[in-house]
Amino acid sequence: MKISFKVNGAARELDAPPLQRLLDALRLVLGLTGTKEGCAEGECGACTVLLDGEPVNACLVPVGQCQGREITTVEGLGAAGHLSPLQRCFIDHGGAQCGICTPGVLISAEHLLRRNPDPDDDAIREALAGNLCRCTGYQRIIESVRAAAVLRRADARDVGDPRDVGDARGARDVSHDRQEAP
Amino acid sequence: MSVSDLRLFEMRRPADLPDVCAVLAERVSRSEPTVLLAGGTDWLVEQETRPAFAKEAALPLVLDVSRLPALRGITLDGDRLRIGAAATYLDMRRDPAVLARAPMLERMGRDIGAIQIQARGTLGGNLATASPAADGVTALAAYDATLVVHSVRGERRIPFASLQTAYKRSTRAADEVIVAVEIDLPPAGSPWIWRKVGTRRAQSISKVALAGVAVREGDRLTRLGLGMASVAPVTALLSRVRTLATSRPLRDLTAADIDAAVDADVSPIDDIRSTRDYRAHCARSVVRAFLRDLGAPV
Repeated sequence: MKISFKVNGAARELDAPPLQRLLDALRLVLGLTGTKEGCAEGECGACTVLLDGEPVNACLVPVGQCQGREITTVEGLGAAGHLSPLQRCFIDHGGAQCGICTPGVLISAEHLLRRNPDPDDDAIREALAGNLCRCTGYQRIIESVRAAAVLRRADARDVGDPRDVGDARGARDVSHDRQEAP
Repeated sequence: MSVSDLRLFEMRRPADLPDVCAVLAERVSRSEPTVLLAGGTDWLVEQETRPAFAKEAALPLVLDVSRLPALRGITLDGDRLRIGAAATYLDMRRDPAVLARAPMLERMGRDIGAIQIQARGTLGGNLATASPAADGVTALAAYDATLVVHSVRGERRIPFASLQTAYKRSTRAADEVIVAVEIDLPPAGSPWIWRKVGTRRAQSISKVALAGVAVREGDRLTRLGLGMASVAPVTALLSRVRTLATSRPLRDLTAADIDAAVDADVSPIDDIRSTRDYRAHCARSVVRAFLRDLGAPV
C-alpha cells in the first residue's frame, strides 16, 4: 500500500504492508531510530510518537492508518547541538539515565507542555503514566519537565508568541537533512 | 504469530459506511474472516500473541474504519448524546457536551489507559471486543445506552440490556457494523460514580469497576443505572441493586440488603488479576459507597 504522510514536517512516501507497525516503518524504513521498542504491546510508552499532535504507541499503529497524517518523533524535537529546552532540561536535571524510555517520555512531555504550559506535579505524572522508566524512579523526570515548563514560559514571554515555545525549529530542519530514508 | 507476520495481512480503507456493510455482508456470506479495525489497542496486541494461522489464505481481511466520518463525531441533541463508534476516548474527554452532560464518561476515559491508549481506543472497539472487564462498556451499561448498528439490511438499535449474551458474545450479527452509541442523559448535575479498582489507576485491567448514574427526587431515586466490570461473564447490570434502591426511600436502605443484592447480581471468579473473594468484597464496598453518597444510611 502506498502511504503518504509527514514525518517531522517533511513529506514522506512509503510502499509498505499496511499492517506494518508505524514503529518499524520509522526505524527500519525511514531510519528514525530515536523511537525505541520496549514492550511491543502498548504498555511501556518507549515508542510514543505524536500522530496529528496526539501521543500514540507506535507499536500499536498500523502504518496503513497514517495516510495523510503528521507524525512527530523525538528527532522532530531537536538534535545534537540544537536541543529543545525540554531535552536540555532532561540532561541538566538527570531525567535520562539508560535512555531507552527517554524519547517516549520526551514526546509525552512535549504533548503535555503544548496543551498545559504550567502543569502541576499531578498533571505531569498523569501525562507520563504511560511511559515506564526502570532507572530514574521518575522523580528526576518530573523535575525535568517542571524545569522545562518554567523555561518555555520564560521563552514565550521573550518571544511573545506561545506557538513558538520549545519548537526548536532550526534543529528540526537539521534533523530532516540528516535522516533522509535510504 | 510474531509482529513480522503483520506484514501478511491485507487491509482496505472502505470509502464509506455502505461500502463497509457491503464488503462485510459478502465476506460473511462466504464465511471469510474479516476484522474491522479502529484504534487497534486490543487487536494488534492479540495478533502478536496468538498462534500462527494455519495458512496465509486464512488470514482475515482488515477493514480500516478508524477515519470513516459516519463512525466519528460526538453530538448532543436535546438530552440524547450520540458518540461515534470510532471517536477516541481522548475525543470524548475533550468534548464540551460530554464534559457538561456526561462527566462520568470523561472520568472513565481518564482511567481506561494512559493517554497513548486514550488517543487510539474507541467505544466501538471496546464493544466489539466485548470483554466483561471493559471499562468503556461498563460506563455504557450504567447509562443504559443503545447501540446503533448498520448492515446491508439497514439500521438497527440494540438496547444495552439485550446486547450481551455470554462471555464475549452478543446479539450483534456478524455483518453488523457498530456505528454509534446513544445515551438518554439524566439532567445536568445528576449524581454519578466511576470507581476503578486495579493495580494502577489506568494502564491496568480492572479487578472491579463500578459505573453509576442516578436521578434523585427528595429521598427517592427515580433513575439508577449501574454497570460493573470483571465480576461476571458479561458486564454486570446489577439489576437487583437497581430494583432494591429504587423501590424504597434511601433512608430505608440497609447495608445488609444492599450486600445481599450485590452478591446475587455478581459471580466473580479467581484469575490472574484478583480473587473471587476480593472482587465480591470490592463490589459490595463500591456499591454501598455510591448509595451512601446518594443518601442511604449505609
